Amino acid sequence: MKTKLKFLVKQSLGKKIKTKWFKIANILVLICLIAIANIDRIVTFFGGDFEEKQEIILIDHTNSYDFFSSYFLSMSNSLGEMKNYEIQKSTENIEKLKEGLKEEDRVIITLDFDSENYLKSQVITYNPIDTITYQLLSTTINQLKSNIVIQTSNMSPEEINALTSPVEIEKITTNEEVENAESQDIISVGVILVIIMPFFFLITMLTQMIGAEINDEKSTRGMEIIISNVSPKVHFLSKIIASTIFVVVQGLLLVVYAILAFAIRMLLNGVTQTSGMEISGMIGDLWQTILQSGVLHLLGQGLPLILILFLASFLLYAILAGVLASMTTSVEDYQQLQTPLMIILLIGYYVAIMASTFEGSLFIKILSFIPMISFLVAPVIFILGQTTLMELFISTIFSVLFCFILFHYGLRIYKVGILNYSSSKLWKKIMKSVKKA
Amino acid sequence: MLTLEHVTKYYDQLKAVDDLSFEVKKGEIFGLLGVNGAGKTTTFRMIIGLLAKDNGTILLDGKPIDYNVTDKIGFLTEERSLLTKLTVKEQVIYYGVLKGMDEKNILNRLDYWLKRFHIEEYKNRKIKELSKGNQQKIQFITAIINDPELLILDEPFTGLDPINVEQFMEVIKELKEKNTIIIFSSHRMEHVELFCEKLVILVHGKSVLSGSLKEIKKSYQKKNIHIQADVDISKLKEIEGVIDVEKTAEDYIVKIKDQESISNVFNYIKKCQNVTEFRVEDPTLNEIFLEKVGVLYED
Repeated sequence: MKTKLKFLVKQSLGKKIKTKWFKIANILVLICLIAIANIDRIVTFFGGDFEEKQEIILIDHTNSYDFFSSYFLSMSNSLGEMKNYEIQKSTENIEKLKEGLKEEDRVIITLDFDSENYLKSQVITYNPIDTITYQLLSTTINQLKSNIVIQTSNMSPEEINALTSPVEIEKITTNEEVENAESQDIISVGVILVIIMPFFFLITMLTQMIGAEINDEKSTRGMEIIISNVSPKVHFLSKIIASTIFVVVQGLLLVVYAILAFAIRMLLNGVTQTSGMEISGMIGDLWQTILQSGVLHLLGQGLPLILILFLASFLLYAILAGVLASMTTSVEDYQQLQTPLMIILLIGYYVAIMASTFEGSLFIKILSFIPMISFLVAPVIFILGQTTLMELFISTIFSVLFCFILFHYGLRIYKVGILNYSSSKLWKKIMKSVKKA
Repeated sequence: MLTLEHVTKYYDQLKAVDDLSFEVKKGEIFGLLGVNGAGKTTTFRMIIGLLAKDNGTILLDGKPIDYNVTDKIGFLTEERSLLTKLTVKEQVIYYGVLKGMDEKNILNRLDYWLKRFHIEEYKNRKIKELSKGNQQKIQFITAIINDPELLILDEPFTGLDPINVEQFMEVIKELKEKNTIIIFSSHRMEHVELFCEKLVILVHGKSVLSGSLKEIKKSYQKKNIHIQADVDISKLKEIEGVIDVEKTAEDYIVKIKDQESISNVFNYIKKCQNVTEFRVEDPTLNEIFLEKVGVLYED
């Protein structure tokens, strides 16, 4: 029987992997991941209005052009503003410049001394100015006014330096596990992207594949030949094992594709030095945040349990999908039955997303122990520091135990359902199978 | 030897098979007859182990049929049981390995059978691309690929033209020569008559007639007399012991109630002109079936 089980697993796995659609789907996924990782370059490559510079015309009667332009541009850079600015000094007549505003998307700034307030200014545009540009201009003009005041106040250079130098602010967070809210936000976004999304995608794939395969064998009556040669237990096991192996392989492939996409991004960064340095800096910052947050330490502690929890959950969904598929005779019937399964998965998905918002929620903690949901919730709240390693261990044990129980009772239903071709109503069939079990 | 003793099967309140007993020896071909819903397929499924019986015993060579012996059994289902997305080669390997065979052996036998059925070119074609008849051939090959000791054929000739039916028959006869136990059902009574040495007629799951075909026919009193002569049908019908007279394109078929009535008909024919044929035949199986079941067998 072991040989037959091995063969059935190989056959089932081959049916999924040795198809042109598997290859095409994986190539598309790889292309999409590379595209997502390099989306800014792709957008830039095709060009567009975003390349145009915002022109700022400065009519300066205070001789402050150098200060204005350097302060404005450094402010813009420090805020990470994506817009490019070009500041030009002009001596043209203001009325003439105003006439050209409609055609050219410009901002005209006038700077004039004022006897009472030291400095007066106008910001002239055809359309309302965007908030960020206005804030930058406002800050720069106010800073310019401070400069003018300082210069005319006969202060000593030391006094000026002390006045203009930035205040040293020390950031202190008393929560030792998560140093600050900012890093927690980054972690929660990362965890959702790395854990929840791919696993949600993989489980959906798993349940659909098992249903389609079992229904294919049932609807062609090939099931009768198969079951006359191998026991329903061996057949059931082969479907569960093959599907779980498939999603694990697909998951690993996704990791490889992500690394590839990232490597391509780095490679392209090497070609364009400036942005490469920017990205390297960003990654460095991100890495620093992750290191400071203690996530890696937590991950190191919990990884074996998390992996077991994932595997147990894959098996759980595979068992349940197999049982449901055995009771149906067509893919349409199976899709109806699959809906509650998908709803359970969705609950886990949303609860995991909400975990970082509703920190310390008892409800979320309870859900983290419930099999079929726990694999999405428990790792997230563990990494966010909202639960302990022991609690993660309990969640894993629950899932593993539930896996055995579900297989035990599921197999009974599977044995009855797999050769059931009755055309009576779907739910009636389920109840009949459960009763017979 | 395949032995069924007092086998009973219920579907809820419905008795699908009722106290069925028969045995089939090695090298025998056994027919299971009955109208739709008589319990033929249920019986096959119980033999192969797909359905659990509620009562009785089913033994192959004195042992219960379980997964230890199913490798020795070939089973052809009434409906197509092929996985249509697979190629012929993949399909036969799939079912062959499940019969405990190794791939090399399967491929050797597959090549032989494909050649035998003149469909070598379909080896790498997908099942769904084949015609119904060719799909049936592949299904038949999957049933016999393991050279079974027990071969169960549920409506094996469905979808086949007469030439292919002839091919199947040849193979089945060869398997019989190899001492295979063959049990089959067919809608075509002429196939049953050609093949079966023994049979059971099922009505609502219960055996109403069983035994060897020869004995059944012999024990059946009614006979048919084929006559070619210038006869008066009304006079023929008046003869004592004549049940009915049918006129076919070639001759007259006189149905008589027993052996003794033959001489009555013969005495009349002697007086007729242009007598070229007077032939006494056993009744057809279909007539016996009609007598026992109340309806014609086919459809």
